[in-house]
Amino acid sequence: MAKSEAVLVIGAGVAGIKASLDLAEAGYTVYLCERKPSIGGAVVQMDRWFPDNHCSLCQMLPTLNRDLSSQFCLRRGLVHPGVELLFNTEVTGLQGEAGDFRAELSTRSTGVDASLCIGCGLCTEACPVEVESQFDEGLGRKKAIDVPNPYASPRRYAIDWEKCTRCGECVGKCPTQAIQLEPKESTMQLQVGAIILSTGFEEFDPRMATQYGYRRYPNVITSIELERILSPGGPSGGELVRSSDGKTPASIAFLQCIGSRDRGRDYCSSACCMFAVKEAALIRKTWPDTDVHIFFMDLRTFGKGYYRYYEHARDELGVHFTRCRVPVVKEDPQTHNIMLTVAADGGLPVRRQFEMAVLSVGQTPAPEFGELCQVLGVETNRWGFCQTRPFSLTETSQDGIYVCGSAAGPKDITDTVVEAGAAAGEATRWLSSPPARPAAEKPAETPSEEEAPQVVVFLCGCGDEIASALDLESVAGYIGQLPGMVHVEQVPYLCSDEALEAVAKGAKEHKGNRLVLGGCGLCVNKYINDKFATEAGLMPEKIRVVNLREDVVWVHRDQPDAALAKTRSLLNMAIEDARQQDYPPVSLTAVTPGALVIGGGIAGMTAALSIARHDIEVHLVEKSPELGGNLKDLYSTLESGDTRPLLKDTLEQVSSNSNIHLHLESEVVATSGYAGDFRVSIKKKDDTTDVLEVGAVIVATGGDEYRPEEYLYGQSQKVLTQRELEKRLASGEIDPSGLSSVVMIQCVGSREKDRPYCSRVCCSEAIKNALKLKEVNPGIEVAVLHRDVMSYGFKEQYYTLAREKGVQFIRYGLDSKPEVKEEGERLITELIEPVLGGKLVLEPDLVVLSTGIIPNDNPALAGILEVETDEDGFFREAEEKFRSTDFLREGIYVCGLAQSPRGIEETIAQAQAAAGRAVSLLTSKHLKAGRMVSEVVQRLCRKCEMCITVCPYDARARDEETNEIVVREALCQGCGACVVACPSGAAKMRGFRDKQVFSLIDAVFQ
Amino acid sequence: MERYATLPVENGVLGAIRQFLAGLLEKKLVDALLVPLELPTGENVVPTIVSRPEQVQRANPLAPVLPVNAARLVSRVTLVSSSPERLGVVLRSCELRALVELVKLKQASLDKLLLIGIDCFGTYSVNDYEKSVKESASSTEDFLNRAREGKEDPLLRKACQICEYPVPMGADLTIGLLGVDLAKGILLVAGTPEGEKVIEEMGLEEAKAGERQPAVEKLTAERARKREEVLKQVQEEVKGLDKMMATLATCINCHNCKTACPLCYCKECFFDSPVFEFEAEKYLGWAKRKGALRMPNDTLLFHLTRLNHMVVACVGCGLCTEACPNDVPVFDIFRLVGYEVQKVFDYVPGRSLDEELPLTTFREEELPNIGV
Repeated sequence: MAKSEAVLVIGAGVAGIKASLDLAEAGYTVYLCERKPSIGGAVVQMDRWFPDNHCSLCQMLPTLNRDLSSQFCLRRGLVHPGVELLFNTEVTGLQGEAGDFRAELSTRSTGVDASLCIGCGLCTEACPVEVESQFDEGLGRKKAIDVPNPYASPRRYAIDWEKCTRCGECVGKCPTQAIQLEPKESTMQLQVGAIILSTGFEEFDPRMATQYGYRRYPNVITSIELERILSPGGPSGGELVRSSDGKTPASIAFLQCIGSRDRGRDYCSSACCMFAVKEAALIRKTWPDTDVHIFFMDLRTFGKGYYRYYEHARDELGVHFTRCRVPVVKEDPQTHNIMLTVAADGGLPVRRQFEMAVLSVGQTPAPEFGELCQVLGVETNRWGFCQTRPFSLTETSQDGIYVCGSAAGPKDITDTVVEAGAAAGEATRWLSSPPARPAAEKPAETPSEEEAPQVVVFLCGCGDEIASALDLESVAGYIGQLPGMVHVEQVPYLCSDEALEAVAKGAKEHKGNRLVLGGCGLCVNKYINDKFATEAGLMPEKIRVVNLREDVVWVHRDQPDAALAKTRSLLNMAIEDARQQDYPPVSLTAVTPGALVIGGGIAGMTAALSIARHDIEVHLVEKSPELGGNLKDLYSTLESGDTRPLLKDTLEQVSSNSNIHLHLESEVVATSGYAGDFRVSIKKKDDTTDVLEVGAVIVATGGDEYRPEEYLYGQSQKVLTQRELEKRLASGEIDPSGLSSVVMIQCVGSREKDRPYCSRVCCSEAIKNALKLKEVNPGIEVAVLHRDVMSYGFKEQYYTLAREKGVQFIRYGLDSKPEVKEEGERLITELIEPVLGGKLVLEPDLVVLSTGIIPNDNPALAGILEVETDEDGFFREAEEKFRSTDFLREGIYVCGLAQSPRGIEETIAQAQAAAGRAVSLLTSKHLKAGRMVSEVVQRLCRKCEMCITVCPYDARARDEETNEIVVREALCQGCGACVVACPSGAAKMRGFRDKQVFSLIDAVFQ
Repeated sequence: MERYATLPVENGVLGAIRQFLAGLLEKKLVDALLVPLELPTGENVVPTIVSRPEQVQRANPLAPVLPVNAARLVSRVTLVSSSPERLGVVLRSCELRALVELVKLKQASLDKLLLIGIDCFGTYSVNDYEKSVKESASSTEDFLNRAREGKEDPLLRKACQICEYPVPMGADLTIGLLGVDLAKGILLVAGTPEGEKVIEEMGLEEAKAGERQPAVEKLTAERARKREEVLKQVQEEVKGLDKMMATLATCINCHNCKTACPLCYCKECFFDSPVFEFEAEKYLGWAKRKGALRMPNDTLLFHLTRLNHMVVACVGCGLCTEACPNDVPVFDIFRLVGYEVQKVFDYVPGRSLDEELPLTTFREEELPNIGV
């Protein structure tokens, strides 16, 4: 079986990063291979995301054992001892089987030797070949040798082999002879137990749809180009300008569904509606004078918080929304304005002029993706995305190979991240147990408190780059006499391997216990991340880097006095800072193996099984007398078919698993403790209480079906819910052949004032049941009265199929809801037909209400677990996009309807992801605290508990025995909220104590 | 709902209150009382914990003087552990509000406390009160009569002149003096079931609120008007760094204001800590760099830090100014800034235990005007 504990992750976009980090956190070895020379994929091109309009990519960084991983922006890079990054690398062959794959990889050189490159940029300056910047979507210019991802750190230069003319200008300019003008291919073989496919998508190229004038009309751009334009790091420095004249457009039109929902691609790209709403909202906030219109067919706001965000954009920010077919696009050649012909509901086509048009381009598989799938032997679907198995969003046709994110179909970041977590969790099926963690031990701590700080300084000349602009002799002379200094030395290139050795040697020779480097941005990576600290016997916190090249020389090239003064100040501060650093050895917190899963529906059972597979005891608590939850009332799904075998299999697996302990008719009534060490009280049927000791808790308490009061439900026998229809169809109680007409009403209890969210599943349910009716009785008339059909992703094909079969989809507005009346035996449904505007009267045999999903009594459980619920009563995750299965309170995870409405497949994926997070925690024997954590000065502490209140991470508590405030160091993220809240100065942050900060301030102004 | 009863006034207003308080002890409705007692010399009143009913005969919670904010004392008593027995505490509005803040900060406990509030017409400085006592044997009654007639009393402390909370909030019982014909009786207001229980156990005659509400509103409105007037003036006086420095010029860094403040609850003030002990070279270095270093240094930083820490919870009792040996108008600054800041968070210190401290709450849409 499993012979390897290593995983190969293909594609280092957001999905690949998330899967890799989850696996690395759990102790596995990850090879993360990426075609491009830097990580991040499409997300690094974006700056801000809804709902909070901030960037929150860093939320994916590990919060436990956090010093093992880099803790800086993931756009810049990722450093984790468990993740080996393989850039410019593709998979070319695969042999073996699940648990024992041998993958062939091929790496193409970038032309710039990363070990020699000093990131000076002289090559780019010298290069005569200008090319379009792919990163800026062709809007900006760059050179044939350049940095492909401007955010990456270290700056990784690469030659664009296609555009390079091999003129050799750069080769001569490179001070370190790092450039080679011909690409070199190298191959390697990796032995891995499982593979995760996370190659993402390619945005639809609108040149293929010539009617939109893309690249013919300068002011027609794509939504991703707009993203770059809005980015402060983008081609226009964050200024909203249009191409033709560089002016800020006074009006912008977004055209939705470009390259989606058409004949060639009968699927919805899922992400573009919200992408457009977000961009529109950002524009309205920053450029309130610009009118923004979104032209759409259905506004697919199906995810958690999406509808609320859309309403905010429409009602508060004044974004205009017009429902129509995709407009016809023309250009006024004089003004380069865009003329749209819009055929909105109930009206004749209208011509409207906009100064800019944005095409919301959909997602397509990357051109090379089919080839890769062939190499891996996994099946693709009719559009070329990876095919997954029924009820799974991550299992490919090949055992041991999983897929996540847009490689398996178009989707947004939130769903991508959940799937990545699920894929990571599922991949461990095929892996052997990883070695004990925390794996990478830091060097033995020096008893620094007693030891006087001895500072060693190395100054880099950067060839001539720094040395020519800065009098390093004078700098060395000045700092040599500062307190605590034992040695100053100048080297030509601090980033060279020789210098690395020289620094390690110099530090040892002079008994230096603090190191200050005057160099460039590369030093941070070389000396802090590249395990240099281990070699030199210094913890990274005792190394300080001053960026003399970028911060001093490049700013003050012609001002030697200013350069010198600034250098002195910066070095003075860095030396003082280094001197002040002292850290006690980090603490370890023991983890109790064992998990509690609350809720025995499909989410809870899936999570329990995923955890139990790792030989961890799981307590599965269910308040009703039997397992199954909502799944008991469902019979099939659109995409996966019959759900009965799923329920039966899962129940059997749960009951036969000796690691799973069932607690039926039981409820959680109290919790105490913290991540890795919870005590949970369970009240049983007989009112007795059991106390369980577990390391992690999973909340899978599900949701409920909205019980309608509208549309004569409960009054007329002929009005029922989709669920009831499904059940009666399955039981034969309702025979479609005996019916001639059925009306379905969507959004009953959803997307309304009281519940401003989309329940996500009801449109699929309606389509599913409509198709079922049609299947048995093709002559039956089915009318679906809807507000937007939320057939996102591949569900779209069933929407198309339903229309082909003659199912009528008729839209109604929130302010003109259909009316259902009973006149004697007759059931009458009336509504205003939106296209013609007239009253439509239907007389169906049945009215079926698509009732939404409502939360259970989550606030009560949230109170017991000390976690939060959201505005709608669902559990509030740690962060909407990147941590949707976590709570801020560590060690507790959430999945399924408890978090938000979702379908069965999505619930299963989220449960697998949540379980993966829990397993990662539970299989580590200890949690290792970060070095920079907060501490309590007991002498000063008044125990007002403000620190406990403000700590988002459950890292502070009052010790029951000593009555003192304590820091749970393993949970502390070093955010400093407690330090701010504490008026007594009793809360301190290591590395930032008062004296340390004050002496720094004094040093910089000395 | 509030319930009311009448305290009979055969022995005068003070007599009635003393009789009521003694009754609480006699009927074992409380085991002890924290209440201002007149000194044997009569010169002043000091908060005292009384356990014997006869001692209550010197109680004078109406004396227009506030030597210490008793919230601080309740905190002293209940910080380590909550009260083991029933303790009645007689407090003015600013004291009760400070107490509520201290409870939120876990510096006091209301367990087993009976909160007895008093309608407050304001107080004099300790010295002015002493003078008034010397001038008249019935100074408290005189003061009450003057105040009830609505005459402006120039001796009232500025803090009291602009205090818009003459009526205690959240008390179990309030000794009501506003809008009441004191010749006929004092209005005892029960604001909680605890308070109602006392009225029942004491067998007091039920009464109606009568003219109380309009009288409270009238006084509150007057005070609020005065507040606007005074704060406008203060704003002019402390505007800008120069004027602020001038206002604080005579501060001697004695930290008395910190000691008098009912809410300054640190064990050891940051500014008294070794962090602020520097070598001589530091002082000279700063002087060199800036050209001049005003001494004692850190006075501005001290007040700004205290402002930063306390201003959201500042109840405006004004004892900081009273404590200053050099008449630095500390209260003026705190009241002005406090008023503005509290408005921003819609926070009234002491209004309710259910209102969370603004510092401990986070709302995504909060303070949209600040930052980007």
